[in-house]
Order: sequence, then structure tokens, then C-alpha cells
Amino acid sequence: MSNKEKVENAVAAINKGPKALKLYMEICAKCGTCASVCPVYYGSPEKKFNPSVRSDLIRAVYKKQCTHSGKILGKLAGAREFDERELEQWVEDFYSCTGCRRCATYCPFGIDNSVITRKGRAILNTLGLTPEVMKKVVEISLKTGNTDGASPKAFMAAIEFLEEEMRDEHGVDIKVPVDVEGADYFYVPPSGDVLVNIEATTGVAKVFHALGMSDRWTMSSKCFDGANYGLFTGDDNSMKEDNKMYVEEAKRLRIKTMLMGECGHAHRIMKFMMEPGKWWGDLPFTITNCLQWTAEHIRAGRLQFDKSKNSMPVTYHDPCNFGRSCNIVEEPRIILHATCMDFREMHPNRGENWCCGGGAGLSAMDTIHEFRMEVTGKKKMEQIRATGAKYVAAACSNCKRQLIQLMEYHKEDIAVGGVHDMLSRSILIDGKAAEHVDYEHQAVETSSQ
Amino acid sequence: MSTYAFIVGGVLPGIAALTFIIGMTYRFRVWSRTVQPGKMTLFPASDNTIKAVLAEAVFFPGLFRGDRVLWMFAWIFHATLALVFLGHLRVFTGLVDRILAAMGLSADAIAAMSNTVGGIAGVVLLATGIMLLIRRVTLQRAKEISGLPDFFALLLIIAIILTGNMMRFGPHFELEQTRVWARSLITFSPAVPQNGLFLTHALLAIVLIMYIPFSKILHFGGIFFTQSLIKRR
Ligand code: SF4
Ligand code: SF4
Repeated sequence: MSNKEKVENAVAAINKGPKALKLYMEICAKCGTCASVCPVYYGSPEKKFNPSVRSDLIRAVYKKQCTHSGKILGKLAGAREFDERELEQWVEDFYSCTGCRRCATYCPFGIDNSVITRKGRAILNTLGLTPEVMKKVVEISLKTGNTDGASPKAFMAAIEFLEEEMRDEHGVDIKVPVDVEGADYFYVPPSGDVLVNIEATTGVAKVFHALGMSDRWTMSSKCFDGANYGLFTGDDNSMKEDNKMYVEEAKRLRIKTMLMGECGHAHRIMKFMMEPGKWWGDLPFTITNCLQWTAEHIRAGRLQFDKSKNSMPVTYHDPCNFGRSCNIVEEPRIILHATCMDFREMHPNRGENWCCGGGAGLSAMDTIHEFRMEVTGKKKMEQIRATGAKYVAAACSNCKRQLIQLMEYHKEDIAVGGVHDMLSRSILIDGKAAEHVDYEHQAVETSSQ
Repeated sequence: MSTYAFIVGGVLPGIAALTFIIGMTYRFRVWSRTVQPGKMTLFPASDNTIKAVLAEAVFFPGLFRGDRVLWMFAWIFHATLALVFLGHLRVFTGLVDRILAAMGLSADAIAAMSNTVGGIAGVVLLATGIMLLIRRVTLQRAKEISGLPDFFALLLIIAIILTGNMMRFGPHFELEQTRVWARSLITFSPAVPQNGLFLTHALLAIVLIMYIPFSKILHFGGIFFTQSLIKRR
């Protein structure tokens, strides 16, 4: 089969579903509202960045393949014969949407262009046209269980480092249990929160310690990265394969609750795709997020903090996957209000927040660094500047990478980190908060990338 | 009766009605039967999905937050369109008249009200329709995504509004004729008003009605499907 036929067949298959995609092909009113709320189009109002233009790459072929008007009237009905030479454009365009779903919030019909983007990427994936970086991350992830390609040994070294740091900070042993069968909680962070920016994980460990629950949780030396790039390449098979490792590991460890870390898309896949979709049948465990879990203990007054440890102005960036897709918006704020002296909202926020510009895997793509800095992240930079904050908390490794690069690129002296990082620095253990250590310059080199 | 009048007023309405009903039924059936694996809730989402979807279809709150200027034109345009649709029902069936009469309004009062409301609606509809057209040709983000079908749909509707307004504001046209015509269609013995303007207005409307199931104007039905997909918890 030629590439042309493959594309045409894949597009024609939309006729059979999913329902959302089929309707999106047929009812877009071409009003342009999505363009005015899209971070990419905001960053650079070029035709190719107009969400509806991008979606038309597929829509026009659909009209040609599946509608009478398109077959008979062709161009006049907005239909177009697919031309293989377009594929290059497809790669560029479908990898310039951050999948933030902001368009769907404001489109009068709720058309979610990210669904069309993902379909486009899925088609590209079957043709082997997924950008190299993304391909590699998926491969490594399926092979090693984490997107960094770190071995269990490297992981254990990182955990040791983490425990040492906490001992230095508090003068007591704060455990990070690993591979404990029969524990209640199984903590699944993004690997970056163990290997690079460790404070989110030390934060979670300290909460367990403070609650006297140190022996009731565990991490896994094989499964310590909820990140799952199959969501981004559009490849359901690899997404499920990756996901399966984690569900199996949870079953093997006989845990009761899977505690997802500060990683938006990982939580979305577990809680909003795998669980309700019953990918692996009924689960012997529940799924929650560490933000929800910690916030609940704060609400119940079980944790104490020394806010003066975080006296700088702090703002929160709602990761699109946590906000628009998972409705986790109040919990991080509860944590930040409890742990910081000067918390400031950026505007708009929660479900209406602007994407960091690195969504849908874009933040991992160094090939489009300048595009991310100048275009997709433009609005975010403006939003952050307007708050006057000196620390941006973002509960997501992808957002963090994008935001850190944004601050460097735009020469802003604003730190970027997680939510539990603020908690880690201010939580009282035996009545005392940590002596702060600057981790950024001490991170262990365990990444093979 | 001229052949033209007979075709436009006697034959096409039936074909248009059939095309519309079959086309839309087919669409709705296919849409509701197409599978949707998994959920795609978009937050914040209300607990009452039906209410949220209806609100979206009636008031366009999403658009209100996204593009206020477009919201104003689009909402006035669609709301007036709905009003005018009701007005036509009144003319054809007399049902609304009976309700109003039962509420104690005299025939003269009803006619005067119809004239005022209908007249204003016609003008507002034309104005907002033209604004939407101007927006489409001048606003970059709308212009660059507009194709022939988008202009065709808008121009067609504007032409219908225009001929409708000409009937109202031009030489006197006895509306009672259309009531007779509507009744005659049901009994398959067409009595078509011999009025050039009326025939043009009717022909254009028929084209629109037949075009809907094949066009993006489907959005008036599709909105319920797409909105419930993202608003369902
Ligand atoms: S806002 Fe919705 S209807 Fe309007 S152009 Fe974008 S996708 Fe189409
Ligand atoms: S998902 Fe986000 S980046 Fe993609 S088209 Fe919609 S608003 Fe733009």
C-alpha cells in the first residue's frame, strides 16, 4: 500500500468513529474562535497555526473520502485529494499543536482540535514519520519502563541520594520504601521527580513520614515513571503497553492505592482513560493523585508548616492535563496556600489557563526549541511576568522543562519547580522545617539521554 | 398557474421536506450510533450535563468568554433566526394567533405586533448577517479558514432575509395567501401565490433546507452531540 492509500484509508475509517472525531469532521462552522484562544496562534498568528487550518489537513481528505458533496463538488465543498507531498507539512503542523484543549473550552461546539491533532499523529506514526525524539522516548520507555532509560540500579542510587538529603535537612531518617509488597500506597511520579528535580518526591516522602505512615507506601525500582508518550505519538498500542507495566506492577505489589505523582498526562491516562475505559478489566486498587492526597491531609489539619521558608512570591501554573482534563485545580492551591507566604494567582487560571507551550510532548523536542520559546510559550511568559512571582510551581515534568527553558531564554530570574517542592521546604518534621539545600546543582547524573 | 410557480410552490416543498427529514434523521442516527471509546470530559464540568449542553446551545456561554464580539453578532443572529422561524410558523398555521387571541388580543393588535416584531427582526437579521459576512472577509483568523461552502451558506441566508424583507417592506403582500398555500400543500392541491418576490424567497429557502443535511449548517444539531461529549462527567 502506498502512503497515499494508507492515509486515505485511515482518514476514511473516521466515518466509523470515534464519534467525536466524526462530528468534528462534519460540523466545524469555521468561526475562528479557536484561533483567538490557542497559545500557538497567539504566539504567531500565521495561517498554518490556525487550529481549524491544521484540522483541515484531515478534514479535507475526509470530505473527499466520506461525503457525497466532497466527492462530487471537490474543492467547492472543502474537499481535497490527498497528496503525499503534504506529509512533511503534516509532521510539522501536527507537532505544533500542544494538545492543550483550550480551543474546546471556547469553541461554540466544543470541538477539541487536540483530538484531530492526535489522529494526525497516529497516522504519521503508522507511516514511521513520528519525529525521532518522540520515537526514541517511546522505545526507551517500553524497554526500561521509564522515559529516561534509567536502570533499577540508577534508580536505587537516586533514592539513596534522596534519603541522604533528607537526613541532612532534618537530622532524622525519612524513608523512601522501594519494592515493598503489600504496601498501601504505590507512588508513581514522573522519573524527573526522582532523577532530576527531587524535591517533589522528598515532599511526598516527608508527608508520609509526618503522618507516621512511612511503612505504608512504596515505590518500584522498575516502574518509577508515569510518563507515557504513546499519548503524544497517537499510538494507542504503545500507550497501553506502557500502561500495562504499571498496572501489573501494582498488582504484583498488592497495593491498595496507586498514588500518581505531579505529572498531568500520566494521571489523565491512569485515572481518566485506563480506569473508566477498563483497559485491564476491574482493578484491585484505586487511583488518586498525590496533590489530592496531600491536600486532604492539610485540610484535616494533620500537617504543619513554617511558611517563612517560602517567603518569595509564588504562582501556580495549571498544567492543561491536570486542569482541563482531570479537574485537579483546588488541591495544588491548598498546598501552596499552606506552604507559601505570598501565593499569587495568574490570570486566567484553572480550566481557562494558557498552556506552557510544551504540551503534547513538545517540551521534549529540542528541534523546535526556538519555536517553543518564541511562539508557543509567549503567552505563558507574559502571564508569569504579570504576577511578579519569583517561583512558578507547575505540577508536571513537561511543563517544568518548558518553563525552565522559557525563563532561561527570556533571561528571567524566576525559579520553576513542583508543588510538593514548596511543601518539602516548609513542612515541620519534629517541629522543625528543613535547612534548605540548593538541589539544582547537585542532581545526580543518572539519565542516559 | 405558471410552471415555474407550480414547481417552486407545488413540487419542491415536498422534495425539500423529504430531503431534510430523511437527511437529518440519517445524520442523527449515524451520529448517535457511532462509537466513542472512552470519555473526554473537559473541566470545569457541571454535574448536570443536560442543563449545561442546553445552556451552551441557547446562550453560547463558551463563545461569550472566548470572543465577545463574535458572540454578540452570532447570538443576536441565531436568536432572531429562531424568532423569525416562529414567525413563519405563525403565518403558516395560525396557531400562535389562536394562542394570542385566547390571551385577549384583537386581530388588529396581533397584526400590528407581527408587523413590528417581524419588521425589526428582519432588519436585525440582515444587519447581523452582513456583519458576520464582513467579519469573514476582513478578520484574518476567520478569513483564512473560510472556503466556498462558508460563503455560500451565509450568502444564501442573507439572500433569503433580503427577499423576505422586501416582501414586508415592499408592495403589499397579503400574508393570508401563504396560509392558504401551506394548507393546500398538505392536501396535495397546491394553490401557489403568484408573486415573483414570494417565489424567489421560497425557492431560496427550499435550497437552504435541502442544503442543510449536507453542509456545516448541521452544526445546529451536531452541537448537542459534541457538547455532551465534553460536558459529560
Ligand atoms: S471554534 Fe470550533 S467551530 Fe469555530 S473554527 Fe474553531 S473548531 Fe471550528
Ligand atoms: S489543543 Fe491547544 S494548541 Fe492545539 S489547537 Fe487547541 S488550543 Fe491550539
